[in-house]
Amino acid sequence: MSMRDVYIVDGKRTPQAKSGMDLKDVQAPYLGAYLVKHLIDNTEIPVDAIDEVIFGNTGTPAKYPNVGRVIALEAGLDKKTSAYSVHRNCASGMEAVSQAYIKIASGRCDVIVAGGVESMSQMPLIYNKEMTELFAKLMKAKTMGEKLSAMSSFRPAFLTPIVAIEQGLTDPFCGLNMGQTAELLARELNITREQQDTYANNSHAKAVAATKEGRFKDEILPITVGGSLNKLLSNDVGPRENSTVEGLGKMKPYFEKKSGTVTVGNSCPITDGGSALLFVSEEAVKKYNLKPIAKLTDYHFHGLEPERMGMGPLLAMDGVMKRVNLKLSDFDLFELNEAFAAQILAVGIALKDKEVAARFGLNQAWGELDWSKVNVNGGGIALGHPVGSTGSRLIVTLIHELKRRKGRYGLASLCIGGGQGGAVVVENLIR
Amino acid sequence: MANNKISLEYKNKIAYVGFGFNSTKSMTALDIDTMTELQEIVEELHAKSSELSGVIFHSHKEGCFLAGADINLIAGMKTEADAADGSERGQTIYNRIEDLTVPTVVCVDGVCLGGGLELALACKVILASNSPKTSLGLPEVKLGIIPGFGGTYRLPRKIGLPNSLDMILTGKTLRADKARRIGLVEEVYPRENLLSMAPNFFNKKAKNKGIQASFKELATENFVTRKIIFQKVRESVLKKTNGFYQAPLKILDVMDSGMMKGRTSYLAGEAQAFGELCISEQSKNLQHIYFMSEGVKKYTGPKSTKGLPKLERGAALGAGTMGGGIAWLMADAGMQPIMKDLSTEALNLGLKQSSQNFSGALKRKKITPDQFERKQRSITAQLDYSGFKKIDLVIEAVVENMDIKKKVFSEVEKYVSKECLLTSNTSSLSVQEMSKALEHPERFAGLHFFNPVHLMPLVEIIIHDKIAPETIEALHKWVLRVKKTPVIVKDGPGFLVNRILVPYLNEAAYLLEEGVSVKDLDQAALNFGMPMGPARLLDEVGIDVAVKVGKVMYEGLGERAHPSQLSSKLVEKGLLGKKNAKGFYLYDEKGKVLGLNPDIEELLPKEKKKVSEADLQMRLFLPMINEAAAILKDGIVHTASDVDLGLIFGIGFPPFRGGLLRYADGEGLDKIHNALKNLSESVDAVRFFPNSYLTELVESKTTFYEKTR
Repeated sequence: MSMRDVYIVDGKRTPQAKSGMDLKDVQAPYLGAYLVKHLIDNTEIPVDAIDEVIFGNTGTPAKYPNVGRVIALEAGLDKKTSAYSVHRNCASGMEAVSQAYIKIASGRCDVIVAGGVESMSQMPLIYNKEMTELFAKLMKAKTMGEKLSAMSSFRPAFLTPIVAIEQGLTDPFCGLNMGQTAELLARELNITREQQDTYANNSHAKAVAATKEGRFKDEILPITVGGSLNKLLSNDVGPRENSTVEGLGKMKPYFEKKSGTVTVGNSCPITDGGSALLFVSEEAVKKYNLKPIAKLTDYHFHGLEPERMGMGPLLAMDGVMKRVNLKLSDFDLFELNEAFAAQILAVGIALKDKEVAARFGLNQAWGELDWSKVNVNGGGIALGHPVGSTGSRLIVTLIHELKRRKGRYGLASLCIGGGQGGAVVVENLIR
Repeated sequence: MANNKISLEYKNKIAYVGFGFNSTKSMTALDIDTMTELQEIVEELHAKSSELSGVIFHSHKEGCFLAGADINLIAGMKTEADAADGSERGQTIYNRIEDLTVPTVVCVDGVCLGGGLELALACKVILASNSPKTSLGLPEVKLGIIPGFGGTYRLPRKIGLPNSLDMILTGKTLRADKARRIGLVEEVYPRENLLSMAPNFFNKKAKNKGIQASFKELATENFVTRKIIFQKVRESVLKKTNGFYQAPLKILDVMDSGMMKGRTSYLAGEAQAFGELCISEQSKNLQHIYFMSEGVKKYTGPKSTKGLPKLERGAALGAGTMGGGIAWLMADAGMQPIMKDLSTEALNLGLKQSSQNFSGALKRKKITPDQFERKQRSITAQLDYSGFKKIDLVIEAVVENMDIKKKVFSEVEKYVSKECLLTSNTSSLSVQEMSKALEHPERFAGLHFFNPVHLMPLVEIIIHDKIAPETIEALHKWVLRVKKTPVIVKDGPGFLVNRILVPYLNEAAYLLEEGVSVKDLDQAALNFGMPMGPARLLDEVGIDVAVKVGKVMYEGLGERAHPSQLSSKLVEKGLLGKKNAKGFYLYDEKGKVLGLNPDIEELLPKEKKKVSEADLQMRLFLPMINEAAAILKDGIVHTASDVDLGLIFGIGFPPFRGGLLRYADGEGLDKIHNALKNLSESVDAVRFFPNSYLTELVESKTTFYEKTR
């Protein structure tokens, strides 16, 4: 089957805010709808000409089982617009993008909006099993006696909630928390606390500089926030201007309390945010007189053992570079998610060290990663990681920075809880 | 019997009486023919009652059960006796419905108002559809009359005294669910199921009232508490209306004195009150306003040969109080507006304004929290012109400065489509002049909203030489769509409303300079029925703004608009009105009046002058009438009702007076003319010189309304 070119007209994201901060009251669909509206408003594409709206989201809000469809409607798109939601954990936004790619490349669709949203602030507390069973018994009880008997089985411990977010961040297969998987990589590859803290500090410094110099202006679309929705939030809430390696060094390890090296400071914070991109075919470019920023060249997803999920990008990058026949030095820019400083440093090691690469099934090393081209505007540690959105957020940031630098190829990649990696290659068209 | 207006069918021992039969109108009203037919039908039902298991009243028209008595019928009443007689005839028919021995169930879908609800009340059970169009109410008081078909008798018996007083005195309408909660409606169903559910209610016993309801009844349904309720309500009515409105007081009289009466004697009182009110000048004035507001819905401007531009998406330029209010209006109408300004701080002000408006609606339960979120979020606040390609209507509300506005328009024209209409919310700048900035002036107009946008119903559509007919018509249609009242006005200083308002405010300032006290001045206007006195209004408008507009008027109209220097002096002293908490009055941080501002006194004469209230009113209102004459002469608007509608909906000119020119016509134009002449001799030769248009009316012995009909 011959594949068609897939163009990215534009991409936008919300400012990202640590959960519980400025975006805490914004429900998931509203982190995406206004982005979609803006992307379509900015083109001549009529609201009834969008073939598909695809959104990644992991903490599916009970009120919005199909958040993608809600986004399409709230964005003012025609009611006939097909829309759905996808879940590939941390790469949900990237999964949405990859589906947009396939559907356009294969000739099935011409105009697709894809992205991701996550309101981690609004992830719920859940009644535990005992309480749920009590409710079920109460519902079944017909007589007052049955009801009383059901009630009498109540114990205060039944009210201990399950924290959805905590459970979501623990691997159900290997039982390790995501932070513990980072500890494992740090131990196995001898990544020191200081290396991690230095990396984290750098991420903050880069993000603060990018914000100050207005480098996020093209990608961030201000969002209406506040209890009575009466003010605009234009910048990320997270990057710390006063961050120092020493300061980070004082924090206690969080996941391996006694002997570990991974702290809250050198990990990405729990965050709210959304991102969206507009994908079109060549026909649509001509029909609507569009000026795309970039081309989406290809993507790749790959699995590995869940307890070393942080190494996912190694395998995904390996896969996508082979697929598009490019090598590390062909890329002008990388956006690699910083789930944990230890995790991204581990990926760097495995790319250049043949022996480590071989442990993960690679028959060659790709070479030294040019860190000056990686996350030039800061990464997840400073900007945060709204799980469902990051996969597409990386691509939004990537295309705008490539355009600014007049670079050609860019690569976005991230590790995926549960033991996978995802990667996407884009080619900048405005050089 | 030939049925033309009402259908009558018998099926399975059930009689179905259907209104809106054979009708092509969207609303069914009770006219003479319908009433006559209804009477015949009711008599037939009496005759056949032994064969029937029940009677069901319904409507063939989706969205309208009965919109009430035909208003032309009410307007046509010439004498008290005529009107009372009309009321009695209706009462008799409804009594006969009430007296039917077979069960009666009425199925209400859509509008059920006035005589329509009174009919429903005569039935044993009212069912309603859950359609959003369903609304029940007795709005008669808004026309200065009393429900005359037994509504004031039956409603309290159905829902208790407090709720019925609230409905009857305010004329408000209830949605189906609310009507069920207060016991007016027995049950609510989807429209399609109403008729099939109705027979279930034929033999239904009255519901056992809950404990709470029983206590409430105990507390309100006894002689002493009822007396107290009436007294309290009377006080609050007097406070709200300043005693200007007769109808609510009359209604209270009827209901209060009828408390212990039986049906026949109660209804006689209701009919008599109906007769008195119906032909009263006040009711005629209120009916006049109703007809004017209906009339304005018909577009009478130049006809276009082209199709009208669709106005689906909107944008507000400038995010101040007005810009935010306009964005709110567009968002509420589902236009997903863009609001653009130059800084985030400015955008936040606009967002705050619209959020406040929506919050108000949320508090009053007009919208749900989800709707609040959706509507408020549908406003995109931004700093650039991105997305303007998709916009159909731009309303500019940036600072009142011709050069800046021109610059903005020539800029925005680059970003919008050819079809997009561009409008300016200017209150005083020349729209003709502004249109020169545009490459395509034919799609440009003034669209003047009044502050605050969400409360003031009037919108002036300002036209100019190059405007295309389809632009005017599309804007007219749009203004109605967003539930405002449009008036099409030719460009000129102050357009319509401000041009008449400025002489009033100006004269007020002259009076103060002559030594009249602020208190006397404002009280005179209040006693005329104005919502606030001129000094208070100046504070509200902003004294600096008034100075600016005064200057524009002076430049445009010459000596008769020579501004008093008082306002400029206030501005020099930093007294700007409500906006900085000090003007003629002092205000607290919430904008509430604290009292007169003592600092004003040093700008006013020490020696106070006592002028009679009537003379003060003449001084204030004659210049308005005179300027209105000038406006008609200049062809700014074409009819007296345009002027009257503009002033009632633009500045709250007292509705019970029917409008400024209706008031002038009523007083007698020769009298007005003489008074002007006298003042031009005693006070100021130029300001009070009668306009030649007025002089001609007097000479040809005609009136504003006759002349411009």
